[in-house]
Amino acid sequence: MRIVIAGAGAVGTHLAKMLSSENENVVLLDESEEKLGRMETSFDLQTIIGDPTKISALKDAGVGEAELFVAVTPDESRNITACILAHYLGASKTIARIDNYEYLLPKHKEYFASLGVDSLIYPEQLAAEEIATSIKYAWMRQMLEFGGGALVMIGVKVRENASIINIPFKELPPDIPYHIVALQRDDETIIPRGNDCIKANDIVCFMTTHENIPYIRQICGKEQFSEVKSVIIMGGSRIAVRTTKLIPENIDVKIIESDLNRCHKLVELVDDEVMVINGDARDPELLRSEGIAHTDVFIALSDNSETNIIACLAAKRAGVSRAVSEIENIDYISMAEKMDIGSVINKKKLAASTIFQMMLKTDVSSVKCLTFIQAVVVEFPVNHDCLITRKPVKALGLPDGANIGGLIRNGAGVHVTGNTMIEPGDHVIFFCVERVLKKLEKYFK
Amino acid sequence: MFHPRVIFRVIGMLLFIEALFMLMCVGVAFFYNENTVQSLLSSAGIVALIGAVLVFLCKGGNRNVSFKDGYIVVSLCWVVFSLLGTLPYILSGSITNFTDAFFETMSGFSTTGATILEDIEALPKSILFWRMMTHWVGGLGIVFFTVAVFPMFGLNDIKLFSAESVGPMRSKLHPRISVTARWILTIYIALTIICAVSLNVVGMGWFDSICHSMSTIATGGFSTKQASIAAFNSPAIEYVITFFMFVSGVNLSLLYLAIFKLRPMTLLRDTEFKTYLIIVAVFTFAIGLGLFFSPGDMDAESSFRASVFQVVSLQTTTGFATVDYAAWMPLLWLLLCALMFFGACSGSTSGAMKCVRISILFKVVWNEFKRIVHPNAVIPVRMSKRVIPTAVQSAILAYTVIYIFTLVAGLFVNMAFGIDFLDSFSISVASVGNVGPALGNYGPMDSFALLPDGVKWFSAFQMLVGRLEFFAVLLLFTPVFWKRR
Repeated sequence: MRIVIAGAGAVGTHLAKMLSSENENVVLLDESEEKLGRMETSFDLQTIIGDPTKISALKDAGVGEAELFVAVTPDESRNITACILAHYLGASKTIARIDNYEYLLPKHKEYFASLGVDSLIYPEQLAAEEIATSIKYAWMRQMLEFGGGALVMIGVKVRENASIINIPFKELPPDIPYHIVALQRDDETIIPRGNDCIKANDIVCFMTTHENIPYIRQICGKEQFSEVKSVIIMGGSRIAVRTTKLIPENIDVKIIESDLNRCHKLVELVDDEVMVINGDARDPELLRSEGIAHTDVFIALSDNSETNIIACLAAKRAGVSRAVSEIENIDYISMAEKMDIGSVINKKKLAASTIFQMMLKTDVSSVKCLTFIQAVVVEFPVNHDCLITRKPVKALGLPDGANIGGLIRNGAGVHVTGNTMIEPGDHVIFFCVERVLKKLEKYFK
Repeated sequence: MFHPRVIFRVIGMLLFIEALFMLMCVGVAFFYNENTVQSLLSSAGIVALIGAVLVFLCKGGNRNVSFKDGYIVVSLCWVVFSLLGTLPYILSGSITNFTDAFFETMSGFSTTGATILEDIEALPKSILFWRMMTHWVGGLGIVFFTVAVFPMFGLNDIKLFSAESVGPMRSKLHPRISVTARWILTIYIALTIICAVSLNVVGMGWFDSICHSMSTIATGGFSTKQASIAAFNSPAIEYVITFFMFVSGVNLSLLYLAIFKLRPMTLLRDTEFKTYLIIVAVFTFAIGLGLFFSPGDMDAESSFRASVFQVVSLQTTTGFATVDYAAWMPLLWLLLCALMFFGACSGSTSGAMKCVRISILFKVVWNEFKRIVHPNAVIPVRMSKRVIPTAVQSAILAYTVIYIFTLVAGLFVNMAFGIDFLDSFSISVASVGNVGPALGNYGPMDSFALLPDGVKWFSAFQMLVGRLEFFAVLLLFTPVFWKRR
């Protein structure tokens, strides 16, 4: 499928690389020759130099035949303009990256669609939502909800004190109220089989229901984590502002920003309860005087990934039990994991989830990318007569790297075993490695 | 970083392709019932065996090709192809001397077309077909060919591709390299078929038609006749070949858009194509005039025909000849040398400098004059309405310097082996530009057989370097490339 990406910034280039390795026909459009740089000689895609809001440039990029047009330049108005033009020229679906929360409100959706902008992505908002979840459940790495909360997938890093480590899966009692879909051990992703067992420092992906979350917390030995009451955010970025809007009001929030002008701007943007502090959050003296030892979560959201990593290390040393950092450089994520700095937020991966969702031809309820594993979790609704309803799960011959996490039937989460028959109307949650995603589609046609 | 396993595995796989081409020649040998079947079969067997051993020894390991791997693979595969491409000549006894065989093969793959053979008509048809095969594969490029024909080899790694398909400005037809390659291949094959049929219609036998068509479309220059196209003595054949040589000198991507996508205007809007057209027109006129007025009995039509054929042949770096231009008046030699230096369009099968670079160079020089008159003016270099960035301009200047340097090096080596100045110079120009025949004693009607071995080896090197546009090969001779840090 032909995909035109306008804007070769961080998100655009990441998408282009990812989609071209998925064997899609990718055209990357940007007006700056430097930004396109070596993309064409290093990856199997086409680059076009031109302004994404110019009709001639869009025509050069072959927008007319494009099945997906993604506008991810830094400027939201240009993105929307580009989408409108692309729609006019014949692009099947358009996605614009935006920077304004109001646009996302459901009541405007129809208007944007009438303009020719089919979908909007707001990576900063997605990042803020993820941070808010990780503050609520400070003992997890990531939590994803499916089917309106009927099933949840949670990622937990288990330590020596967890009760489930070193037990082979086949020896676990059969009536356990969870399903383990994957393990991440150092750089390796393990789809567990009977003889595998969880080891200390693995990140474990559990698929379970809401009422069993406390149980999971118990078996992972995470009960010492108290409820979060105070948070320090380093860097007054857009994500920081969105985060302050999303976290519960009873939590005490401080933002440390080094640029004084930005501080003045910040106080206009955030609510009254949020305290804005001018200073460098890497300075241990400043952190101590702001009571870092009694802070529950430290969130590093500056523009610089390295700074964020260092700041989280410093904060952890100063006594914070939980740290979250924004790391934009994907290669750093596994490195950060080894340094044990806690949850990682990556805007590119969040944006990529949305694009993936648009790319699949079948109607998918949701696609979520995991930050700590190169994998995605997809919710597929099951229609009548699709391949997946014909045989029990074990006889389907699902591709390697894909694993059914569970299914939602009549609004309730159901565990899937090898003998389960999937029925029309169910929603199936798949855990799969990125490259396998397209292969799964045929089971739902 | 480079990964020897990856490099040799890829080369091993490419060798299967070479074996396949040799097998096609076996088919020709069968068809004409020639005694070369066994030698061609064993050549193919040896090549396939070496390929299999390389693939077997280097299986597994890293799958990713780095930039450096790309350059090594491309340079090495051209050398290895030429080394093993000598097997059909040697095993069949057509060429007994290894140096000669290597020169002939390299001249084939690089679409140069210079030959050491002195009695071409005496060779078996299957061996002649192998000569044309080397041209036809080399015209598009070995890696390119493989990517286009055998996508299942999984060689469509973009880094291999970019190391081989060089040029100042790339234009992709389709986002995916494998599709672009397939489209280019389509037009290449279509041109070859049309050319072969046209030649047959105007009176050439089928075997000669197919061979000359392969040689023409690849802008190679090997002929099945010792006297080249002059042997046919037919104006119709000469015009047909002139036309197809000219078409092969056009950027294949543009040609695809113009013909298959019905956008002929893209051609006329292209500055490079216009430059190409103008050079052909001006030189045809000048040389035609020179021939008409030089002593002899050439009438207007025959001097025009001789002029346009030679001009197109040399500018597209094909190297066919209908007359012995080495016997023309010396003033015209200069014009011919200039043509050999210019070359046709980038993205075509021709060699030498390419019109896009010539055009940019002239504009850069012209701008220097303008800048003296208007010291504060901002003067862009435009090609097809696009402003050429300074980085590309300086890359082209560097290209020119290295081109001239390689020319002079060839001149030096040739003269060191005792060849006179005119011969040395023209051999060097013809080799670097992948033209083929030179001037003086090594003109279109002569053979390179008498050259000393050293000259043959260095010329072969010049052909390779010129075909891969210098940097890809010469990079391997720089210490920086091999540093691990």
